[in-house]
Amino acid sequence: MESDTSSRMKSYVGIWIGLICIAGIEVFLTYRNFPVHELLAFLLVLAFIEAGIALMYFMHLKYERPSLFWSLIPTVLFVLLMMNQIWPDAYRLAKLKLLIQ
Amino acid sequence: MSESEMALSAGQSGHGAFMEPSPYGIQSKKLTMWLFIISDAVTFGAILMVFSYLRAGTPNWNAPFRFSPSIINGMVMTFVLLTSSLTMLGAVEAAKAGRKAASLKWLGGTVLLGTLFAVLHIREWFHMFDEGWRLFQNPTGGPVIFGAAFFSITGLHLMHVISGVIALIVIAIGYSTDWLDANHVETTGLYWHFVDLVWMFVFPLVYLMNASR
Repeated sequence: MESDTSSRMKSYVGIWIGLICIAGIEVFLTYRNFPVHELLAFLLVLAFIEAGIALMYFMHLKYERPSLFWSLIPTVLFVLLMMNQIWPDAYRLAKLKLLIQ
Repeated sequence: MSESEMALSAGQSGHGAFMEPSPYGIQSKKLTMWLFIISDAVTFGAILMVFSYLRAGTPNWNAPFRFSPSIINGMVMTFVLLTSSLTMLGAVEAAKAGRKAASLKWLGGTVLLGTLFAVLHIREWFHMFDEGWRLFQNPTGGPVIFGAAFFSITGLHLMHVISGVIALIVIAIGYSTDWLDANHVETTGLYWHFVDLVWMFVFPLVYLMNASR
């Protein structure tokens, strides 16, 4: 039992280091002068990777029954995807403001 | 089974005799926490989406965060919150193994790190207030909505952190007096990791995307 806990803590430390490295990469990419939309895409991909790792290992979703994963995660992703319909209007608004200026 | 037989069965084995097992194989308190987490994830998703909408739809959007002190402060806050997740894992693992004293020490560490995160956050807010930022005031002359969006998102997250610290203190007291058990520590840990998970989106979208370069 004690050794199980110890080996799990070692793997958690490895994941923790990995998450800190991903955060470091995010800061590094921020100062590489990418266009805004490319930087946003890079940062979002890295944030989703970080969140996925935290969800599966820190929140132990990996060790729960698959039914819990399939009930929760697709639902959240579906709702978040549905929110993306705002983008055309945001860019229309930006173009409109530029025309007015 | 007749009604009298069912009543007799309930009397012998409690109401559990009539209940189906959980399809998820977890306690109801843990399932409730998961349901709260997904609803809160949608709330944060919506507020971050609104922030991104405003940013994309505003040509003269501000990028006020300098590398020093804002981004460095954000990196330190990220490190502190990620480390608090690690100490929370230590608390959960120790509680499951029945090592109460070790679990309480890890919980104490998590509370300290959570408090440090909140202090760093509030310190940054005061720094921004000194520069003239308010909810509806932009000292750079840019869109006033920036302050409202920034303080709303970071304020909502900060409120979650402070609530989490209070919850951790209550859980630690309850666990030390045997009023609560290891399952409560684990369920509170889920919430704490979620607070960390949200920061993984707030830091890049609110701070890094608005870093002055």
